[in-house]
Amino acid sequence: MHRVRGISGMPLRRIALAVFVLSVSVLTGCANFYVDPVLKDVSPADMNKISAPKPVQLLFEFQTKGVQNSRATDRLRDQVIEQVKASGLFSIVDDKPVAEGAILSLTINNVPLTDDAAAKGFVTGLTLGLAGSQVSDGYVCTLKYIGPGGKDPIVKTERHVIHTVLGAKGAPEGMTKSDNAEAAVRTMTKQIVGNALKDLSYDRSFK
Amino acid sequence: MSFTCILRGIGSACVVLVLALFAGCAATMGQPQASIEDVQAIRGAQLPPVAVGDFSLASGVDPAIDTSVGIRATSLKSPIDGSFAQYLRQTLIAELRAAGLLEQTSTTVIQGVLADRQVDAGMRTGSGKLTARFTVKKRGTSVYDREFTATSTWDSSFIGAVAIPAAINEFTLLFRKLVAMLLADPEFRKAMLS
Repeated sequence: MHRVRGISGMPLRRIALAVFVLSVSVLTGCANFYVDPVLKDVSPADMNKISAPKPVQLLFEFQTKGVQNSRATDRLRDQVIEQVKASGLFSIVDDKPVAEGAILSLTINNVPLTDDAAAKGFVTGLTLGLAGSQVSDGYVCTLKYIGPGGKDPIVKTERHVIHTVLGAKGAPEGMTKSDNAEAAVRTMTKQIVGNALKDLSYDRSFK
Repeated sequence: MSFTCILRGIGSACVVLVLALFAGCAATMGQPQASIEDVQAIRGAQLPPVAVGDFSLASGVDPAIDTSVGIRATSLKSPIDGSFAQYLRQTLIAELRAAGLLEQTSTTVIQGVLADRQVDAGMRTGSGKLTARFTVKKRGTSVYDREFTATSTWDSSFIGAVAIPAAINEFTLLFRKLVAMLLADPEFRKAMLS
């Protein structure tokens, strides 16, 4: 009887086991998540004070490798809306057009930093976690603001990183572990959006 | 080709984290949303306010086309009445509302018919297609009628946990692409302004 073999001659049963172990690792706590300290928390007090805040229409989108990820957007939208409201930079924050027509667009794009992330996870899975590995996710936040009557947007960009450690590999140096993946993503989002808003507040064109 | 080389091609760093958070067993698309590019484009065209009318599945088409689409072992459904035609309608509404052009009392009405949808999360390359016909009626008289097909291809993977979320995102994006094609069509704009 012939064994069913997958790509590169690897038995499909072994591939399936590796995928299963990887999935279990990620979803049950053998994967640990660390938000890189590259960006710090930004509070409303850190923003440049705006004398006469204007209303703004907010559009937010989370992307995965540049492609709209609507389910992730749904999960993070309320947090981002509340953060923009709390910033004090705008009098009204709405998803519909506002008086004077100002628009604020926030996009967070999840981009790969480790080309062979799946391979690393696979190896960790195949060795039941003994061979730990670390992969890093990059996030690029692009803020575009078109002021009342304006045409050319003010553009600000911030970058952030979340490190995922699988298996027996130790924690990245100097980093604090997040409670779980969602906590890491929410912290990353809060910091990357906060820093982008802070940059906007200090832009001379922003009034 | 070595096993390592093959593995290197099947994934990216974003996979592990995003999968853990957002993929799971979910098989429902996210809510339609507007993009700043489309909103700016629509505003620039200075179109008049418009209503969005009925959207439905084309007659004679298998009803399953409207209710779900299989992506490997996952059955993907629309969050809007379980209908891809209604998802297309809501996508159009989201774009028009964000641009300040939605006015449901307008006598100019956009209607749509979903003709086809396809998605294939292949082992190496994924592909998707969405076809719909849009009509514009002014006071009941048809002034525009055109079919569009939005297509997409992307890097896929033999690992379902990588390929399925990517296919869901790309398939969802097709709805926005299709609406963008309509709103950018010079004949559509001409009809709207006539």
